[in-house]
Amino acid sequence: MHPLVKFAWLVSLTVLVFVFKRPSANAAFTLLLLGVFPLLGLRLGKLRGLRVLGITTLMIALLQVIFVDSGGVIGQIGPLSVTKDGIELGIYLASRFLSVILLSYLFVLTTSPNDLAYALMRAGLPYRFGFTLVTALRLIPLFEQEALTVYRAQLVRGVSYDRRTLSSLIHYLKTLLLPMLISAMSKVDALSVSMEGRCFGRFPTRTYFRKRETTWMDGVAMGGLVFVILIVIVIKLWEG
Amino acid sequence: MISIRDFGYRYRGRDAYALQNVNLEIAKGEFTLLTGPSGCGKSTLALAVAGVLFSQYDGDASGSVEVAGMDVQGKSIYQIADIVGLVQQNPESQFCTLMVEDEIVFGLENRKYPREQIEELLTWSLEVTGAGYLRHRALNTLSGGEKQKVALASILASQPEVILFDEPTSNLDPPSTEEIFQVILDIQRETGLTVLVIEHKLDFLSRINPRIVEMGMGSILDDDRDSYPAPRLEINRPAFDGQTGAPLIEVEKLSAGYQGHPVLREVSFRLHPGELVSLMGDNGSGKSTLLLSLFGMVEWDQGAVRVLGRDVDEVPASSLGKDMGLVFQNPDHQLFASTVWEEAVFGARNFGLEKEAYEGQTRAFLERAGLANYKEDHPYRLSYGEKRRLNLISVLSYHPEILLLDEMFIGQDRENAAFLLGLLVEYVESGGSVIMVNHNPAYYPQVATRVLFLSEGKLIIDAPLEEGMKALSRLGKKAYLPGGGS
Repeated sequence: MHPLVKFAWLVSLTVLVFVFKRPSANAAFTLLLLGVFPLLGLRLGKLRGLRVLGITTLMIALLQVIFVDSGGVIGQIGPLSVTKDGIELGIYLASRFLSVILLSYLFVLTTSPNDLAYALMRAGLPYRFGFTLVTALRLIPLFEQEALTVYRAQLVRGVSYDRRTLSSLIHYLKTLLLPMLISAMSKVDALSVSMEGRCFGRFPTRTYFRKRETTWMDGVAMGGLVFVILIVIVIKLWEG
Repeated sequence: MISIRDFGYRYRGRDAYALQNVNLEIAKGEFTLLTGPSGCGKSTLALAVAGVLFSQYDGDASGSVEVAGMDVQGKSIYQIADIVGLVQQNPESQFCTLMVEDEIVFGLENRKYPREQIEELLTWSLEVTGAGYLRHRALNTLSGGEKQKVALASILASQPEVILFDEPTSNLDPPSTEEIFQVILDIQRETGLTVLVIEHKLDFLSRINPRIVEMGMGSILDDDRDSYPAPRLEINRPAFDGQTGAPLIEVEKLSAGYQGHPVLREVSFRLHPGELVSLMGDNGSGKSTLLLSLFGMVEWDQGAVRVLGRDVDEVPASSLGKDMGLVFQNPDHQLFASTVWEEAVFGARNFGLEKEAYEGQTRAFLERAGLANYKEDHPYRLSYGEKRRLNLISVLSYHPEILLLDEMFIGQDRENAAFLLGLLVEYVESGGSVIMVNHNPAYYPQVATRVLFLSEGKLIIDAPLEEGMKALSRLGKKAYLPGGGS
């Protein structure tokens, strides 16, 4: 599917998550999203940061359950009353948070950021901004690898990362960051020589060799998105 | 085609001139090799010809640099880029995109060429560089040689009249080095391009008889040499009288890799006291992984690694480091202190050595390395060759029993390489043992007592030097032999 069609779905559905005010609708939408992952062959258990996501979602829900005291009381946890409003608000906020994150995951896992950058540039994004994203995508893994090398070089020269005092942390950070900074500067230097040497910035616009044809599937997806938006508008109007 | 007259250049903030009174004429279609010691100004000269020196750096220039009759000092970088292409040392640093196709068409898109013309030039440049099979690949999946081919194709696609190569093979193994030089040569013959190659590896190039320009510090010593410097270094190999004593390193059937991707396959070998082992193999064959596994820094599926009788997976790397020093490939990744002296004694202090145990000897090392006058300077102010000397001294200062070197000689001129190799031989003769990953066939036969050769993660040669070299020849690995085995 065309990256811009997926991007349109991401933006629209993220807005829709905030349009619905009913906990049941938000929870249903979250469950629907969870169901989409296996359908696309994506394993939820393999998501990066899943644990942090789970804990944060739970905390958001629990905070509402514990601290909202309006509405009918349905139970007691020590001195705290658990109310119907608290549970509903907990479900509402937690599912909204989870939906937004899951939508982003779905987008990132199914879209090449490089393809997206090129698609955005072809759609009118100034190419200098587009290539900021492309070069960042290229350099970040290199920096990650270099940070690991610097860390290893320090370990074998006897830097022991076991000490946890503030001064030792500052020292570790300094010795880690300096080689990284030098390396980053030299990379930026070489890259700017390479870019200017190939006429980057010569004209306000550029041509593109990449041709990303839209397919019938993109048309169906866009039609589907318009349909969903219309349905939501009708529901909202009907609700008053 | 290139005319440099009385050219001088001094970088802002530096006292010394990088170039002085440089005069050089290169005719259209000439294949020129520019060689000379590290830091002598070769790259600065290339940057001047490409016009980059005047657009991207601050400094004082005198004299003139003309390319195709155009004074590059008065022109925009874009005008010069239509005539001159620059292929830098590390292809990784010059890639602007993530895919092979995007990279090659990058310059053409910036020039607003229409799609049909881009297609034509893309196909042509892939064909002449022999990189057609890479067209739809992601850049991060390519080997070092393949990356350099793509870098070359990306410059060639814009059809410059002059191409400058700044040490294009410094990160490549000998077979890839030969392949890239052959590609450059074929392109030059086919297109009549003017080619200027900056290179330390003279072994292969000596066989194609280019014009040689030799530089000294900041100036041209000889602009048409008819012979190359003598290939041998005057260093004596350390005496080694057989594998006696308990092994220092024992690797048993080691299979290791990264994130489930196997790199080493059932590798077994031992290192004995007094050995200087040259570890070789193509790019990606697992040499660096093997060194890291000796510190337990790599996940392994099976096998065992013992260093000085200790299982490395039970000892932290920071404690193994005291007995086994490791010098990494890039000097900038291992400079942590704020002065040359602090850097030289960084490890010794971390390992808690008494001052008496390291200060005197470290001072002597710095003196011999010509670094004594820079003791209070920041290490990053040193030249590339000086940094490499400092890297080695900063490990020798705490007297590890074993020394591991990962591609220490990349980008080193002969003089600096000879100095480093001399220190290694001394270290071995005083009781140390060395494993050095080395690609340069001009160096290891001078000093190594044994050869290990990895191929796709398997150790296929483990033999004393002479036998090892015969095995390399027998297995068709002639690019690893001096003079290509001829």
